[in-house]
Amino acid sequence: MSVPILRHGNVLVASIQVAQTDDELLQLRDRLSEMVGQSRAKGVVIDVTAFDVLDSFATRTLRDIAYGSRLRGARTVVVGIQPDVAFAMVQLGLDLGAVSTALDLDDAVEELNRPPSEVGRR
Amino acid sequence: MASDLAGTADKTLAHEMGLDEAAIERRRRLVGLGPEDSKRIATIRDAITQRAEEYAALFFNYLAEVDEARDFMRNRELVEQARRLKVEHLIAMVSGHYGAEYALQRLRLARLYSRAGLEERVFMAAFHHLLRAIGTAAVRAAPEPELGIEAFFSLQKVAFLDLGLMVDVMVAERERLITRQQEAIRELTTPVLQIRDRLLMLPIIGMIDTHRARLLTENLLHAIRANRAKVVVMDVTGVLAVDTKVANHLLQTVAAARLMGAKVIVTGLSADVSQTLVNLGVDLVGLQTIGDLQGGIEEAERLIGYEVFLRDARPNGVAAPLRSL
Repeated sequence: MSVPILRHGNVLVASIQVAQTDDELLQLRDRLSEMVGQSRAKGVVIDVTAFDVLDSFATRTLRDIAYGSRLRGARTVVVGIQPDVAFAMVQLGLDLGAVSTALDLDDAVEELNRPPSEVGRR
Repeated sequence: MASDLAGTADKTLAHEMGLDEAAIERRRRLVGLGPEDSKRIATIRDAITQRAEEYAALFFNYLAEVDEARDFMRNRELVEQARRLKVEHLIAMVSGHYGAEYALQRLRLARLYSRAGLEERVFMAAFHHLLRAIGTAAVRAAPEPELGIEAFFSLQKVAFLDLGLMVDVMVAERERLITRQQEAIRELTTPVLQIRDRLLMLPIIGMIDTHRARLLTENLLHAIRANRAKVVVMDVTGVLAVDTKVANHLLQTVAAARLMGAKVIVTGLSADVSQTLVNLGVDLVGLQTIGDLQGGIEEAERLIGYEVFLRDARPNGVAAPLRSL
């Protein structure tokens, strides 16, 4: 099932509701990258609340999406990583690199609305 | 009822120490105790059995005079119990049977000593005095001094079998105490406290091992979600020893919190600890650290957007910021 991508102001929201195969994740990456250009979005929010596990491939794809979007002028925030998922990722040594994270959509939008000069101060 | 319970405890301990018939046989062989020893001991049995009370008194009289045993002797009830067991012990020592029942009896007495806090070296000294008295009596009681000495040597094997058991129990009891204390330290809860809306504090005190680090991280992550925390101040003032492992645990906790969108500020790294970390070459660049807890909380408030004012410090109606931004 492909992930719906919603537009809210100048932010794109992709809420992943069911477990995704590697191919579906790659499709999501490509569609987001395209839509950032089309809609001239300033931010991308990826909601992973439904994920029971984030493996190395998913982690890398999230990182790729973030770097790709940044090159096209949008910042990416990943939201909704569950406590157990976060703990497992750390144990496995998986890292989202410089990708921003937030607790939920509210926080993510707030983060994106912050002037770029303040980014990283959080 | 109480003695039943104690009996069960002795059996449990015997089981923990792996004291089955085979192990006791092995111990007997170690000190060279055999059937002919039982025969020799039988020649002095009556002399010892008749005066068992007297010899037991000798043992405790010695203890009464030693400073190191003062605490032990003060516990009258336990001493009385020990005295009774000691008389039983002396009678059993010359009985000629040194099997599981005998070992269990030794365990009971040894457990009592260690519970009452009698130190091994003091016990050894008292036991030595007791043996010397018994040896003298054995030589006197025997028809010929040489036979008496032989019987005593056989008895000495039993004594060393006893010592082996006694010391093992005392050490096992002490180890159990240490294990219990370690568990207590490990189980020290690590509370996650909310000090302002969306601001959590995590004071860490004591030793951090893998197990505790895991609990601590899990607690924190769930608290972050439950309280919708944005910033966490992790105070390690109470962590006296930090090594590579502990530092890694802390880094993992911080990384996991970050994945959930919360920022962690570490405070309270003492001069000693930071020096150790520098010497170890632990890379804490990924951490935001601030000297003390107050500084950490101020920074956290600033990050979330709080401004704190002192009510009285506004002479002309203008609130003066308590902390500069």
